[in-house]
Amino acid sequence: MGFINWLLGLGASVVLPIIIFILSMIFRMPIGKAVRASLTIGVGFIGINLVIGLLGNTLGPAAQAMVKNTGVNLPILDVGWPVAAAITFGTTSIVPWVFVLGILLNLVLIAVKATKTLNVDMWNYWHFIFSAAFVYFMTGNFVLGLLVALITSAIVLKLADFAAPVIQKHYGIPGITTPHLDTVTWSPLGWVINKGLDRVPGIRKWHASPGQLQEKYGIIAEPIIMGTVLGFIIAILAYYPEFSSDLGGAVKQILTVGITLGAVMLVLPRMVAILMEGLVPLSDAAKQFIQTRFPGRELYIGLDGAILVGHPANIAVGIILVPITLLLALLMSVLGVNQMLPFTDLAVLPFFAIWATTWSRGNVVRGVIIGTFFIACMLSIATFLAPATTDMAHAANFAIPAGATQISSIDSGAHLAPFMLAFGFIFSRAAQYGLGFQVWISFILAFALFSYIAYFIYIGRGHIPGIDDEHLYVEASDEDEVDIARGPAGEDAVDHVAVHLAEQADSSTGDQAAAR
Amino acid sequence: MAQRRVLVCCATGIATSVQVSHRLKELLKARGMSIEVAECKVIELPARVSAFRPHAVVSTTQVDPKLIPVRVFPGLPFLTGLGIEAATDEIAAHLKSLSVEGA
Repeated sequence: MGFINWLLGLGASVVLPIIIFILSMIFRMPIGKAVRASLTIGVGFIGINLVIGLLGNTLGPAAQAMVKNTGVNLPILDVGWPVAAAITFGTTSIVPWVFVLGILLNLVLIAVKATKTLNVDMWNYWHFIFSAAFVYFMTGNFVLGLLVALITSAIVLKLADFAAPVIQKHYGIPGITTPHLDTVTWSPLGWVINKGLDRVPGIRKWHASPGQLQEKYGIIAEPIIMGTVLGFIIAILAYYPEFSSDLGGAVKQILTVGITLGAVMLVLPRMVAILMEGLVPLSDAAKQFIQTRFPGRELYIGLDGAILVGHPANIAVGIILVPITLLLALLMSVLGVNQMLPFTDLAVLPFFAIWATTWSRGNVVRGVIIGTFFIACMLSIATFLAPATTDMAHAANFAIPAGATQISSIDSGAHLAPFMLAFGFIFSRAAQYGLGFQVWISFILAFALFSYIAYFIYIGRGHIPGIDDEHLYVEASDEDEVDIARGPAGEDAVDHVAVHLAEQADSSTGDQAAAR
Repeated sequence: MAQRRVLVCCATGIATSVQVSHRLKELLKARGMSIEVAECKVIELPARVSAFRPHAVVSTTQVDPKLIPVRVFPGLPFLTGLGIEAATDEIAAHLKSLSVEGA
């Protein structure tokens, strides 16, 4: 036992390469490739750690000074999903369990025809691992954490099944769905709110097109620009009291913080890309392993929600949500239901736009309304998960600055299904945030539960969500889509958004036919 | 032949683009082509295209072709494995045709 504790105490940059090497051997990778991949993962961890150190040492003090000057209570740093993912892969006691059992569960559910979704998106197993990890760190119950992760992955597969028709039609990508926890678990909520908006007289017909938003304002959403601008704003709020005493010093601080945070925004994803590069060979091997298990079955291939984000409506809503998220964070901190200062994950808001826009087929007005509600929920859940995330980071030997505040991320707050499942076991933790927080978080839970039930009942009655009611949205918005909707079934693959994807569809159906 | 640059883009510049670039590099290597690859976020695509000056863009998500002057290829085959050889051939042919024009 002493040896195992010593081994785990070495930290993720040492332990994870070992685990990945063992998993690579199980999936029969060549040894040289396995060694290189495993080392790459360790290197990725060290790189991420460097950047977290930079983030903590720059944003940390600035945010604390800002909190002191302005009185806003936002002590939790949003370190973003890249760090959340790295921390998660650092919970080495859980990683292999969720990987192996999760893959097995997917295979079993397909074998008994309980799902049509084959999740080949190994990277995003981190969401299931995170689910297991936060439950484990909050309750101390390992088996409970694992159970929550596995039930969550089954729910996510079902949600991916249900979402497949509208994804394939709206985005024009046949045979694909997205069992992507942090996006698809919001699909029932988006669906319910969208149905509600159908009944609101003013909004019912209101439709803004994404238009030239990316061309005009896209630059603001580029990570390097957003990081620098936010850095300047935070640093000004942090260091303006020094203007009178030491102007030169204060300006220097402000410029340094600005450019450093621009660097963090740009460099952090690059470091995660190194980690990812190390995971790709294993993920390929695992994918091969599961894909060869079901020749001839017609399955949806499950990919990252990232493939949907490029849609102009999602990018537009993601850009509009940036200022809204900052305002919400401030407003909600006054109300006592948020303590997190949004930062790193402001770069990935288009992800959370997916299920805010998809049901209305890309309606930006509805996307902003629904997206704002999503973000409001995510900020509170992220606040709630911050202590557990911080503990996980410490356990994985991450460089959280000493005496620093807690860390979390907007994306952590998007782990809705595991949060709902584990809520009964962790609710007592909400007490420390006060009554308002308890009421709001209970409302989130109740609304989510209601949405899931309504969504499942609708489907249980034989409806296909997003398809049976598409006449409500498609006719008014885009002529091309109407033509597709009315065209013969064979033309479904041709989407106005991306005709080149249709070429791929043709070639893939050709391949499928050849495979049979 | 001069080395060709390919920019692989997805929503995060990490999640799917790294997988795609890894596979694309290996498949083109098998065809005797060595390429320089970079990954980026779809939101920074126009800026990265003007900085990196790629000969082709491969995207796993939707890209507005008006925003960039380079030919865009679908990245999904490299994620699903369906039609991956045909997609690679298409990109290889495109990159080769450029080198002829350049000569």
